[in-house]
Amino acid sequence: MSMEYKEMVVIGAGPAGLSAAIEAASKGIKVTVYDENARPGGQLFKQIHKFFGSKEHKAKIRGFKIGEELLNEATKLGVDVVLNATVMGLFAQKELTVLINNEVHHVKADAILVATGASENMVNFRGWTLPGVIGAGAAQTMMNLHHIKPGNKILMVGTGNVGLVVSFQLLQAGCEVVALVDAAPAIGGYGVHASKLARTGIPFYLSHTVKVAEGEDHVTGVTIAEVDSHFKFIPGTEKHFDVDTICVAVGLSPMTQLLKMDGVKMEDTRGGYVPACKKDGSTSIPGVFAAGDVAGIEEASSAMIEGRMAGAAICEYLGYEDHEEKESREETLFGSLENLREGMFAPKNRGKKIEKTEEGIDISQNLLRHGFIGDDEVERFPGVISKKGIHPVIECSQNIPCNPCQSACHKGCIAIGDHMTSLPVVDPESECINCGMCVASCPGQAIFLVDEEEDHTLITMPYEFYPLPVVGEKGMALGRDGHEVCEAEITNVRTSKAYDHTALVTMKVPAKYAMTARFYKKGEDVL
Amino acid sequence: MERIKEHPILGTCEPGKIVHFTCDGKTLEGYEGEPIASALRVNGIMVHRYTSKRHEPRGVFCAIGRCTDCVMIVDGVPNVRTCITPLKEGMKVETQYGVSRKGDVK
Repeated sequence: MSMEYKEMVVIGAGPAGLSAAIEAASKGIKVTVYDENARPGGQLFKQIHKFFGSKEHKAKIRGFKIGEELLNEATKLGVDVVLNATVMGLFAQKELTVLINNEVHHVKADAILVATGASENMVNFRGWTLPGVIGAGAAQTMMNLHHIKPGNKILMVGTGNVGLVVSFQLLQAGCEVVALVDAAPAIGGYGVHASKLARTGIPFYLSHTVKVAEGEDHVTGVTIAEVDSHFKFIPGTEKHFDVDTICVAVGLSPMTQLLKMDGVKMEDTRGGYVPACKKDGSTSIPGVFAAGDVAGIEEASSAMIEGRMAGAAICEYLGYEDHEEKESREETLFGSLENLREGMFAPKNRGKKIEKTEEGIDISQNLLRHGFIGDDEVERFPGVISKKGIHPVIECSQNIPCNPCQSACHKGCIAIGDHMTSLPVVDPESECINCGMCVASCPGQAIFLVDEEEDHTLITMPYEFYPLPVVGEKGMALGRDGHEVCEAEITNVRTSKAYDHTALVTMKVPAKYAMTARFYKKGEDVL
Repeated sequence: MERIKEHPILGTCEPGKIVHFTCDGKTLEGYEGEPIASALRVNGIMVHRYTSKRHEPRGVFCAIGRCTDCVMIVDGVPNVRTCITPLKEGMKVETQYGVSRKGDVK
């Protein structure tokens, strides 16, 4: 078997791998990217929600669009992306074996970036091997790539961002989500992600987990039960749901097998058992780098920057850039990465109980426990105001590095300031023109336009489900908890390229429901 | 399970080219190039194999070719990951028992 030579090999064509390839190829390095999948992009093409962050992190752009952008850029730069290519082994002297079309290729590279990402964790319960118990990633793959419903009635296990986001995507695919359960006492993901589920009426069962998945040949039901502080079931708390699918979203683990095989020094961190890397992704073996989830579980936005930094480091390693150039590039990128690592959900805050926002406001406990901000809690947040006439109401109550709403408004209604994690403040003096850009820009779908008149209120909400309501249609307005609060009539439905598939639906409700009506359900007798 | 036809974000999901294949002798339809597992799920088939020792049913779990729970006998070859193997006209798919066909198990 002859050995093939490559200047730079990237393992994994996900956000980190592609970003590194782009960074390096733009300086003239010949990059080969191997990916075991039939399609590149890693998990990006399954991410149909708008990303958080700021403009430089591609905030408010949907994941699959970011994937397309990365691929186009890589292709333009001449990056060779080899698909259906499984890297089987990583050996000393930067040699690797790659399985392509049932043939093993022996490759040697000058520099290697391992960007293999992560795999899903599992939780064991009685019946967990039954067909119908699937990973959350499987659900995303089925519905967003292959366009089939993973199930009709689904229980979601796990309330981290993956569990929350995938639950919402299941609703978008036309599935019914009966409940979300989590053994932890508080919702793990962003409150805004939980709220957009809660207001459709989906219950959250915290301190609950699956007792048994029922069914002979496949899942036909599930029983959950409450757990105590030692995660032991509390007898008599069982609840049953008829479901055909149980979706499990209980975290991710870095896929470090290749790095371990190569003998890279590893360390145990909160992000998992990961390679000991410098911030530029260099490992204990010169010329071998790691970036993205394999180097510690974070978001795709962080993975893209880590990839860029590793790409820059490889440019220096291979002599394409001098040390100063690399350092300056790294500083810029690292600043951007550090911004994403701020706020309540930052890696450094994992496992910490946070009682107050950075502004000193008490966190909504209802949000952590039930997925929505209580009517009695919501007015303490700076984005929530009430006044005559139209104005935005921003129900953003946790410090997350995200600021698209600020730049979406050209009228100065919304201010976050320079500190990305600050809660948005709505200025009661400014003049809202009902453009709706803020509503559509919010990746958390936490912005509403409320037009308070004497005898009625018009509430404009983000809406990403089919069928869209139609003007004149009547139904019920739902509260943040998903319960019916009053009758509602649809007065406007706006779609626009600028809103990027988020429809803006306006409903008319009696004036006194201005601060409570937040979602709409078509009346069952109305066709 | 159904196919998604209209999606609020992804738009209209164009139907693929219809091909015929068999599962345990029964003729079924699916889209060319979609994962075998997708076509099976659309046809209501959830069980892909039974384990050898305890005869427990298994189906799709990870859907990305990692867990190998969904393997079946495809065109006579056992242990084929149906979640990442594209469907082709005339494919012969069989439920796998252990690593063999039903009845072939000792």
